[in-house]
Amino acid sequence: MRLLHWECWCAIIAFLMTLAFVLFPGPYEMAVFTFLAQPLFAFAAISYLVKVLRDLRERKVM
Amino acid sequence: MNIGYAQLVYLFGTLFCVMGILLSIRTARMRFGKLNNEPSVSFWITRLPAESAAKLVAFASLVVMPAGALFIANYHTFEGVHEVSGCASCHVMRPMVNDMMDPQSGTLAARHYKNKWIAENQCYHCHSDYGFSGNMEAKLTGFRHLARYTTHTYKEPIMARVRFNNQNCLNCHKNTPKFQVVQSHHTAAGRLASNQMICLNCHGQAHPSSLQRTPGSADYARLMEPMQ
Repeated sequence: MRLLHWECWCAIIAFLMTLAFVLFPGPYEMAVFTFLAQPLFAFAAISYLVKVLRDLRERKVM
Repeated sequence: MNIGYAQLVYLFGTLFCVMGILLSIRTARMRFGKLNNEPSVSFWITRLPAESAAKLVAFASLVVMPAGALFIANYHTFEGVHEVSGCASCHVMRPMVNDMMDPQSGTLAARHYKNKWIAENQCYHCHSDYGFSGNMEAKLTGFRHLARYTTHTYKEPIMARVRFNNQNCLNCHKNTPKFQVVQSHHTAAGRLASNQMICLNCHGQAHPSSLQRTPGSADYARLMEPMQ
């Protein structure tokens, strides 16, 4: 498995944005969650899954 | 103890986010290639090799916790738009909400509110295209409104792009004795169902007019007062 630095930092920033929206709901917090946090989560998850697939191929599991 | 949706959202939203942050920090510091010689890790009822445990933590921090947080926050988004205070949090909506709560107003929304024809979530009852039950077009419209409001790319008074769907009125009024007894409802049934004719044509305006909502107008300051 490769390092997951960028993915984790994206997820941490997205979690903080999501937490802000959950605790202090308002239009700006909702916009930050909708337009920034969700794509960051998606980027982190997709990048993680790509690395997992590459890792499995290298080990000839797939 | 009465626990509402808001308390559940606070609880589970905070739980998923805090757990996600802690697990992500742990995963970010992980050196996956150097875990082969590490001792095995206790995982509830079993013990796992250190590398397997680290991979499970990575999966939890980048897939499971984000999925949970996204579900809670999206639920919060769609459930929050049901409440009148949710609508009033955008200042362009204040004229509609202030007018609806004004006992002196004669608009359709105000009459529904002061006569308690709708017990709660009054905005959502007439604009139920929003929320989980609404169609995709309404959701995309909601995202467009959010983007335009938060980037200040709109002009007051705001204008509706789409025609109001009569079905929102008919959900409650259709088949009631008071509705059925009016002959014109039967005469215009086809046009009402297809939105060629809207209910407001006969029943007056639903909200303050665009003229009243224009900055500088005589009513603007009164309509824009912060909601109590």
